[in-house]
Amino acid sequence: MKKTRNKEILLIGGRSKARSLASSLISQGYHVTAINDSREDCMKLAEMQGLTVYYGDGTKPYVLDEAGAGNCQIAIALTSKDEDNLVACQMCKRNFDVKKTVSLVSDPEKTEFFHQMGVDSVVCAISAVTNIIQQQAFMDDLVNIIPVGLGMVQIIEVHIPGDATVSGKKLWEIDLPKEVVVGCILRRDSALIPRGDTRINVGDTLVVIARNGQENAAIEVLTGR
Amino acid sequence: MNFFEKKNKEEYVIIVGCGRLGASLANTLSDNDGNVLIMDLSKDSFRRLSATFGGLSVVGNGTDIQTLKDAQIQNASAVIAVTNHDNTNIMIAQLARDLFHVKKVIARLYDSERESVYHDLGIDTICPAALSAKEVDKILGKDEEQVEK
Repeated sequence: MKKTRNKEILLIGGRSKARSLASSLISQGYHVTAINDSREDCMKLAEMQGLTVYYGDGTKPYVLDEAGAGNCQIAIALTSKDEDNLVACQMCKRNFDVKKTVSLVSDPEKTEFFHQMGVDSVVCAISAVTNIIQQQAFMDDLVNIIPVGLGMVQIIEVHIPGDATVSGKKLWEIDLPKEVVVGCILRRDSALIPRGDTRINVGDTLVVIARNGQENAAIEVLTGR
Repeated sequence: MNFFEKKNKEEYVIIVGCGRLGASLANTLSDNDGNVLIMDLSKDSFRRLSATFGGLSVVGNGTDIQTLKDAQIQNASAVIAVTNHDNTNIMIAQLARDLFHVKKVIARLYDSERESVYHDLGIDTICPAALSAKEVDKILGKDEEQVEK
């Protein structure tokens, strides 16, 4: 990291999610404060070094005030109840001018509604997990897909199997769909940015960028499956 | 007869939460020939409704969008959120107002601090503690007047 960012981040609720998120954020140099309304969870969280913990209901203005919500740039609501997450985010936004609010939502149908109610970023664990499971179920372990830009673009990791017809071919010899680009080739321990005359070997992992809808055709061409 | 039906159609009230307040509101509205639907998570709560209650009672989660659609929330003239949890009431009120565009939306909030925030957001809120305090003030004020006399 070039700059030491001293961003203040507030975590509201959540047990294991708050724990792992806090440890990752602290290691990146952020100041993290956690609010939790369960004494047990607070004790667990307080074991973590560098994490400030407040015991209280993070949807109440005075609790947020005490925890220093006014100095925070980001507030993340992680409770298991959608209504609590919504209110926590709205309180942070309205009363404490927190720039960015992030909320977990368990009901996938409420994602849009949360956006509409002023929550900046809404994460639906259920739909995220179902998407991943679907990918894993329909693709074999040769492929890993990451949707970006609201799912308009897919970044795909494709492993070239031994029986692939593309092995040994130059990149320009391969008949890929139009809106697909091979961005990077991971070969053993190195990463190379390919040109048209780069050859593809068995065992390579290609990082492919594809417009949504083109990814399956691209995978078929590359893996032969 | 036509008039009667028309009037009924205009006034369709959904109450979420069949506690003491919810049940008593439902009973009153039903007694006044209003069209009422009351919703609660637990069937047991409906015991609070009077024997003459003529509205609908639905077991369901009032924060669930499909449940609200099933209750024909888009036709409701008013939604009253009186469950035991402030945040649940807030979410129901916001769903009703911003997703289904119900004209009159009322939420009961125990926490007066939260109440002021959502009052500013344009939701009609009722805070029992604030109302009680007002009432007590009134009674005390009366006493003082009597003393002065």
